[in-house]
Amino acid sequence: MKRIIIKTDKCDGCLNCSFACMSAHRDESQSKDDSFYTLNMLSESNQSRNHIDSDGKGRYIPLFCRHCDDPKCVEACMSGALVKNLKSGYVEYDKDICGKCFMCVMSCPYGMASPDRLTNTHVVKCDFCKDKEHKPSCVDSCPKKAIVVEEVL
Amino acid sequence: MNDVYSHNICECADKPLKEFISTLDREIAHHRVEGQSVKCGFGLQGICCRLCSNGPCRITPEGQHGICGANADTIVARNFLRAVAAGSGCYIHVVENTALNLRNTGLNKGTIKGKNALNSLCKKFGIDASSMDDHEKCVKVADMVLADLYAPEYEKMKLVEKIAYKPRYEKWKELGILPGGAKGEVFNGIVKSSTNLNSDPVNMYLHCLKLGISTGLYGLTLTNLLNDVMLGEPEIVQAAVGLHVIDPDYINVMITGHQHSMIAYLQDKMIDPDVVKKAQDAGAKGFKLVGCTCVGQDLQLRGVHYKEVFAGHAGNNFTSEAVLSTGAIDGVLSEFNCTLPGIEPICDDLGIVQICLDDVAKKANAEYMPFYDNDEKELSDKIIDKFINSYKARRPNVKINIPNHGNKETITGVSEGSLGKLLGGNLQPLLDLILKGMIKGVAGIVGCSNMTALGHDVFTVELTKELIARDILVLSAGCSTGGIENCGLMTPAAANFAGPNLKAVCEQLGIPPALNFGPCLSIGRLELVVVELAELAGVDLPQLPVVLSAPQWLEEQALADGCFGLALGLPLHLGLPPFVTGSNVAVDVFTNQMKELTGGQLIIDMEVKSSADKLEAIILEKRSLLGI
Repeated sequence: MKRIIIKTDKCDGCLNCSFACMSAHRDESQSKDDSFYTLNMLSESNQSRNHIDSDGKGRYIPLFCRHCDDPKCVEACMSGALVKNLKSGYVEYDKDICGKCFMCVMSCPYGMASPDRLTNTHVVKCDFCKDKEHKPSCVDSCPKKAIVVEEVL
Repeated sequence: MNDVYSHNICECADKPLKEFISTLDREIAHHRVEGQSVKCGFGLQGICCRLCSNGPCRITPEGQHGICGANADTIVARNFLRAVAAGSGCYIHVVENTALNLRNTGLNKGTIKGKNALNSLCKKFGIDASSMDDHEKCVKVADMVLADLYAPEYEKMKLVEKIAYKPRYEKWKELGILPGGAKGEVFNGIVKSSTNLNSDPVNMYLHCLKLGISTGLYGLTLTNLLNDVMLGEPEIVQAAVGLHVIDPDYINVMITGHQHSMIAYLQDKMIDPDVVKKAQDAGAKGFKLVGCTCVGQDLQLRGVHYKEVFAGHAGNNFTSEAVLSTGAIDGVLSEFNCTLPGIEPICDDLGIVQICLDDVAKKANAEYMPFYDNDEKELSDKIIDKFINSYKARRPNVKINIPNHGNKETITGVSEGSLGKLLGGNLQPLLDLILKGMIKGVAGIVGCSNMTALGHDVFTVELTKELIARDILVLSAGCSTGGIENCGLMTPAAANFAGPNLKAVCEQLGIPPALNFGPCLSIGRLELVVVELAELAGVDLPQLPVVLSAPQWLEEQALADGCFGLALGLPLHLGLPPFVTGSNVAVDVFTNQMKELTGGQLIIDMEVKSSADKLEAIILEKRSLLGI
């Protein structure tokens, strides 16, 4: 089972992970390819699933979905849109059956599920880039290797 | 309004200003700080290179060279030199236009308000002016400045030897850093730092020192002296500062920029009886210029000559959005930086007309009215009409809200000349106070205001308080001054914040413990003060108990100023690192080797108290070396 492991002390707050996440999940109508060159950074439809907070003292706190073993978001989800896939280990989300109650947003102790910024009609959450060729995009883009994928039991 | 950003505002030294900003229903720079708080580590350290299509390359433990092979030292040096060259270019642009304006004043038999300043320049430049009238002198002085600026890089500028302090000139000659033509030096700095050209960090840092000298002597010092001829010399007066200087009964024009001589004609025209009549017909009492950024500080510095047209200085670069948000400004007239892009949506929203006189600072929604392509009389008429129309169109539709912000007791108009006059003719009494220990030392707190060194003006104001409490006299020039004065530290009553000895000096002379030299250009005036002190004491500049700090430096120009400070051999503190900490060579050159090269040194410290401790320790060490 794969997990994103965070090495906080290596994070330089460059935001490349956020850039990559937005690029990987961008609305396809914006551009034909997934090159960083063509990601529209002025479009609010591009919303990162990961976040870097500053502790105000020059250090950074990378916040990534942990795809928890005991996911509070899944526990809170009444529609069944959020499911823990026991085989892959990912917490998966089905936008089509989501009831938009946003209890997952309320429940995640790490603040890793957010309503979508433009329409408030679905949840924006890490999908481990499972449908992408490179995965996860954030890990691929981190120049400091502050986030890495590791196999965990 | 950009909802991505926070509605929280950043810290601000100026509490009434912060309170006013917190009531605004619009987003300004103070709101945007939080949303921009996550920074790129590579950028902060200067180890990101985007000079070619292989990049951006960034230095990591696993990749210590860019694709071309450039290491951190080369990448940092190129980035730094590019920034210093750009900053130098900005100030050289200012002095070039100022000299052109002086030349035109001479050719067109224009008004000369500073005859003493003109004669003193002729003397400094070694001009035999016995058979010249004042207008001919203007042309001659301007031509000599322009000839140096336009000289090729391989020809040394001729005025350097005439205007620099002799021991410094000799030191620069020995180091091989006497600058060639100022524009040529900027050009070469850009070439050197381009793709796969210079890779020698030390060579590039020496080039930075050359750019520092040309920036300082021409862009700073000479700009002031040329302006003094056209606009009048500063005199020490008491003035009102802050947002409350705005009087809604007038047609108010906020000025931003650095090129005061560009509005020389206009500011006199605005108080002509026929113009006042026009304003009255529109329902106003007349015109007022509201100071903002350095051109406002410059006008404040010469305020004694402009009592009628000048409302007062409202605030620095990051106060400009608040000034406009009062609703009482009818026009913005800009000719250079620091004219924030953030003012544009406010102007659109409040129907404020923006006019720009120089396209190097053309704002997207401003009308560009080229200064040099127009007759200044016709141009002034057109500008006045546009502002009158703006006043008529917008006033019925806007709500005016001017907070009780600022004070009326700020001492302004301090220059090398006016300070000498106050002290009885020259700066000997100041030197005596330093020698006696009544004043422990002098700190130039200069440069900009930024939002990231603890908040808007926070580092600047707190460091000023720390230093004056230790009996160190503060001289300020730049947007730092805008913050210090709005926080009341340039009023005579601020003597209460000073240490006992400095307080006694202030009370005796009726001066505040932080002296207001006006715009960043006046860093050149600080140089003249320091040189006079050194001459009187018979020492070179690095021996004096004098330090510089740009606690809240903002931009490339400040880095060029900083290089001037280092070339002068003075210790220079910065409250934020100048994007060089990724290179060991850079850190070593600036903080260590510089002591051997010029006598100067860079001190990077992001905390107020420890910065003050270090600056005080340097002052005490220099005192002890001088045996005082």
